Amino acid sequence: MRPFNWAAAYFAAVAMIATANAQTATQVAATGDGSDQALIDHGKMTYAEKCSHCHGPGMMNAGTITPDLRRFPDDKTRFFTTVKNGKNGRMPPWGDLLDDDQIGALWAYVSSQRKP
Amino acid sequence: MKGIALAAGLAMVLAPIGARAQTADQLVKGATDTSNVLNYGMGYNLQRFSPLTQINKETVKNLVPVWNYSLADDRSEESQPIIYQGVIYVSSNSATMAVDVKTGKQIWKTKVEYPPETPRIVCCGIINRGVAILDGKLFRTTLDANVIALDAKTGKELWREKAADIKEGYSMTMAPLVADGVVLTGVSGAEFGTRDFIDGWDPATGKHLWRTYTVPNPDEPGGDTWKGDTWKFGGGSTWITGSYDPELNTVYWGVGNPGPFNAAGRPGDNLYTCSVLALDAKTGKIKWHYQFSPNNPFDYDAVAEMVLADIKIDGKPTKVLMDANRNGFFYVLDRTNGKLLAANPYVKVNWASSIDMKTGRPVETDVAKDAREGKKVVVYPSILGGKNWEPMSYDPQTGLAYANTLAFGGHYKTEPATYKAGEWYVGMDLTDLWDWGTGPRGHLKAIDPLTGKAKWEVPSDIPRFSGVLSTAGGVVFSGQLTGEFEAFDANDGKKLWQFQTGSGIEGQPVTWEQDGIQYVAVTSGYGGVYSLFSGDERLAQIPTGGSLWLFAVKKPQKVAHE
Repeated sequence: MRPFNWAAAYFAAVAMIATANAQTATQVAATGDGSDQALIDHGKMTYAEKCSHCHGPGMMNAGTITPDLRRFPDDKTRFFTTVKNGKNGRMPPWGDLLDDDQIGALWAYVSSQRKP
Repeated sequence: MKGIALAAGLAMVLAPIGARAQTADQLVKGATDTSNVLNYGMGYNLQRFSPLTQINKETVKNLVPVWNYSLADDRSEESQPIIYQGVIYVSSNSATMAVDVKTGKQIWKTKVEYPPETPRIVCCGIINRGVAILDGKLFRTTLDANVIALDAKTGKELWREKAADIKEGYSMTMAPLVADGVVLTGVSGAEFGTRDFIDGWDPATGKHLWRTYTVPNPDEPGGDTWKGDTWKFGGGSTWITGSYDPELNTVYWGVGNPGPFNAAGRPGDNLYTCSVLALDAKTGKIKWHYQFSPNNPFDYDAVAEMVLADIKIDGKPTKVLMDANRNGFFYVLDRTNGKLLAANPYVKVNWASSIDMKTGRPVETDVAKDAREGKKVVVYPSILGGKNWEPMSYDPQTGLAYANTLAFGGHYKTEPATYKAGEWYVGMDLTDLWDWGTGPRGHLKAIDPLTGKAKWEVPSDIPRFSGVLSTAGGVVFSGQLTGEFEAFDANDGKKLWQFQTGSGIEGQPVTWEQDGIQYVAVTSGYGGVYSLFSGDERLAQIPTGGSLWLFAVKKPQKVAHE
């Protein structure tokens, strides 16, 4: 018999953690006002997984290769549209992977890092 | 550039009449063919050394641009030009191009298209590293994991084969290798939970000949180095072109990191991640392997170039393979059997104290132990390694390997990793990655392969991510992310010349001679792994914008007026 149980247990455990995180985030997104630290933290986590390999870890970015999101205008509609549909054949579309709650959390994180 | 044009006209060298299809035999002789650049690495040995001497320590100060060709692309330009009979073949993520050396004019350009979702699963830069050539055909990979063949005369697509699916996290950026009549390609994707491989294709038809997985299944040799189903997401990407020894008829190919980075879930050595494979090109069969970093948590991907040379060890001529590994050790192996001959640190290393010469395994420190147990550690080298992908050059005249190395460490802390097809799967905290220190972040080093010690080093505040080229003229070429293309004295590292190319250099310089003139070509255009991941705001005034530069030595003025 192949040593299978251990791995199954591992993936199950990780899946549980991930599910728990997603639930928390959804709850926060439903009630939060965008300044909620939990929402920002969830956005930060989603950013690290989905966005940081182009926009820079912790949103640190020289701003010439991909936009410096700390300077993204205070325009939530534009942010949602760009994340969902992509832009200029460079920014890939994420509408099939990220739901409104996740994009909302990303927006909270981006807004929290805005430079004047 | 009047002087150059006139000198070219006066040259007594006659161009071959009519373009001949380029042959497999020419590929074998690529390292000594000074009139073309036919191989990735300027020879199957990947030495990136040219016997040419027209550009030398005296004349290099007179190096001037001949022309500049726009790649009309604003991603990182990491393509190594291939040159055959006066035509440069260069690639970007978005096109393949043929350019006339004499005029700098485009002969043809063929666009590459891929689904807009593709960049989601490309970890470290939207790039392409170049084409391979054989028998009137060019071979390249595409970001969405297709392998294509183009007619070298017209750019017309001759065949296209899908190697893998972006939905599963696979992408392709590497330049193919043509060896023993087979087109070999590798894939990227180990950051997305893929199980990776090397493919062999028929150059004439694109027929798939073989696939060798770099992560074995439980029934294959090495399968017992993975627990449970972890092999299915085990990574082991193959995103840099292998080297080839035609006499031994063996291909040497580096294998990338295991997935996820977090090693807690995948106990075991995790073969063949962080290893080099010796392969039979015709069948893909593994002849031997050597693993640099077993069960590695730190992304010490071993894909970077496996340079082949024949050197004397204890007075005995030895066929070796050299690797400045991302794990911080410089390895020399006997390439006939994979036996370890030397392994010494060439940058600061704290995850292992040494390499056990008997077993070939690293002697790990508490840093590696703590990292595996989930503690936050400061590790040297960082996940970008002691040297990243940018290829070094080996100069057989000085016996030194010239490499752009990295001088910073990283903060490392694991997190749980959840596999979802086509999504990031690393299992580490990506919010606080670097331990920069206060000194320069990189050096161009002239490394003694057998000791790892540098004969000289040239620091750089922002590290260099350019390929390196050395020549019998005693000159070493490299480039800066801030745009300067540079020449150094091979013996002492003294800077002899530089030229601002307009964007950062992450390209691979090459040199050849045509009609009596020695040329150097390099791409400019930044946007690769350091610029994306470092958050180095000192690069804020460096524009993107890809182009190909050609340089030659300006003749004395009197020649121009003859």
